[in-house]
Amino acid sequence: METLWIALSAALAVGIPAIATAWAQSRIGTAAAASLAEKPELGTTMIIMLAIPETMVILGFVVAMLIMLRGGGG
Amino acid sequence: MILEMSRIRIMGPREALEPMLELLQDLGVVHLVPPPATGPLAPAALTPAQERRRRQLRRILDDLSAARTLLQLPAPRVPARGEPAAASVSDLARWARLARRVHREARRLAERTSALEEERALLLKYRQAFAAFAGLLPPRTGGAGFRPFYVVVQASQASQVPRIRELLAQAIGDGFEIRANPLPDGEVALLILVPAGRAPKVERLLDEIRLAEMPVPRGYEGSSLGDAMARMLARLDRIPGELDRTASERAALRERYADQINRAWLETGDALARLEAYPLSRVTPRAFVLDGWVPARLAPKVMRRIEERGGPDLAVLLVDRSLWHGEEAPVVLRNPRLFRPFELVVSLVPLPRYGTIDPTPYVAVFFPMFFGIMLGDLGYGLLLAGLALLLRRRSAPESRLRAASEIAGACAAFSSIFGILCRQFQGDLGHRWFGMRPIWFARHEAIEPFLILVLGLGAVHVVLGLCLGVIGSLRRSRRAAIGSGLSAVMVLLLVAALLAALEVLPRGVLTPAAIALLVAFPLLVLAEGLLAPVELLSTLGKILSYARIMALGTASVMLAVVANRLGGAAGSAVVGTVFALLFHLVNFALGLFSPTIHALRLHYVEFFGRFYSPGGLQYRPFAHWTPSAPGRT
Repeated sequence: METLWIALSAALAVGIPAIATAWAQSRIGTAAAASLAEKPELGTTMIIMLAIPETMVILGFVVAMLIMLRGGGG
Repeated sequence: MILEMSRIRIMGPREALEPMLELLQDLGVVHLVPPPATGPLAPAALTPAQERRRRQLRRILDDLSAARTLLQLPAPRVPARGEPAAASVSDLARWARLARRVHREARRLAERTSALEEERALLLKYRQAFAAFAGLLPPRTGGAGFRPFYVVVQASQASQVPRIRELLAQAIGDGFEIRANPLPDGEVALLILVPAGRAPKVERLLDEIRLAEMPVPRGYEGSSLGDAMARMLARLDRIPGELDRTASERAALRERYADQINRAWLETGDALARLEAYPLSRVTPRAFVLDGWVPARLAPKVMRRIEERGGPDLAVLLVDRSLWHGEEAPVVLRNPRLFRPFELVVSLVPLPRYGTIDPTPYVAVFFPMFFGIMLGDLGYGLLLAGLALLLRRRSAPESRLRAASEIAGACAAFSSIFGILCRQFQGDLGHRWFGMRPIWFARHEAIEPFLILVLGLGAVHVVLGLCLGVIGSLRRSRRAAIGSGLSAVMVLLLVAALLAALEVLPRGVLTPAAIALLVAFPLLVLAEGLLAPVELLSTLGKILSYARIMALGTASVMLAVVANRLGGAAGSAVVGTVFALLFHLVNFALGLFSPTIHALRLHYVEFFGRFYSPGGLQYRPFAHWTPSAPGRT
């Protein structure tokens, strides 16, 4: 039973930030596509902007790994 | 590093302005800027005659460029710096006539070639279509009293051919002949011969059942398809000869005018660039003043050359450093050979301001290191090294592609080193096949040490950025420098306290670190204001952001391990190997893309934030005209 809770916690730790990242990236992607149509030179900036919300899911992944390891589920 | 620049000022009689611009064009190192408009100095406007000449030169240049494109002339040799300019455009009318004539002739030949090629393509299509009817033609085709219908039935309707025959019989009785030829792609070519008097009924019927006759091409109207085809085939035989003649004419035109066109092109471009540089000077009724930036090490040589060529009526002087601001000077990045490719990474963001810090050397150290830790696999590293070599062979020296290949080489080296240190060769294959053991730690097994390593690296990187901020601020504001310095110290103290709390450092460190933090805190608020604590927290957040290196590294190695396990579970050795190779290829592609983006982001967002000052002006010396940057090099 404990393993189930550990697995569920790890899944939530990475899953919820993943949804948040996806939502943020969808908004940034839309704005980026519109901006790039007018200013193609902004390409690099836009790629970096798209990478910024990935911090959430990356940190979520790190937390999930720690939950698995500390909880003995890994 | 950012090269030190000097500002020079040239003054002379107004009639010497044109020769001076010619000389500066030959020197090719002076970035012209308008001098301050003080006293009687006014911007030099073009006279009506000069404006007419400018427009004429623009037209000539457009004609010459178009002619060069149509004749596919190779790029001419641009005169080297310091080389005396070729003959000046003494006879604009002559260049204009030449440009117009050659452009007109080249355009005529290009249009002719294009028309012939289009005609040939169309006729070839008809020939192919007509070949379907070739075996169907009866001897009486085209004979008086009969009207042939050429129809191609779509593959989806091919089974309807007997039905078409029935419908024709119902419509006009038995007096017709229909022949079918199945084509390789499933379509059916139909030749229907009917008495001329019944042709209108057949036309209506074909229209009703939505079958279209093959149209006779333009230029061959008025005859049947059969007669037109004979003429088309004869025409098709003549086209290659006409194309050859057109190509010969074009080659002759190119042979005859190539040198003149290229010379006129460069000289026209040079003359136009000089005229367009006029507004950068300031003038009085009798004198002119020109200001320009040159790299400081070249300034004495440039001034000597101007004095030698300019004569006694000309004065050139160095503008005192106290009379200009750093923001006005253009920026030239010049780094040691080893670091130079990484200027490409810096060039993706706006240039740093003059007098600030060029981050290229730091990027050259940390970018491949971060990339290497994220990819961290000997197999992938070797693959990337191969790609880098290939890219290097296919790129021109000093090009952006060459720089990218060299960056890829450095990333490959770091990936291989971390692959060896962490026992990664295509995931765990090195361990399973060759018994490789981690010299340091296996990334997918030692998550916590890996996390501590990357956070430590992050702390070093962010504190380095803060220290560079201190150096940068020292030149502007002592208070800001103290603030940046205190931030750096507090970050270090916070990291030390955290490590002591986690028992990575001795527990005894915790209390002194906490006391030092309490002392430094009010000082930081005094130096940087009330928002300083928020800034400090954001700096800590930046360090945490380096956890992405560990996350991506772990994800990469896990995917590689999964690829190996799935390959092994496939049952067949061949299928398993192919599957594993495909999976590794996908992982390698991801392993190139993600680490690049995230290493860039760590630099641009986390590292540059505290010291990088964008907004520098690009150094564009006034030089001989080149098509990529008219009026500049």
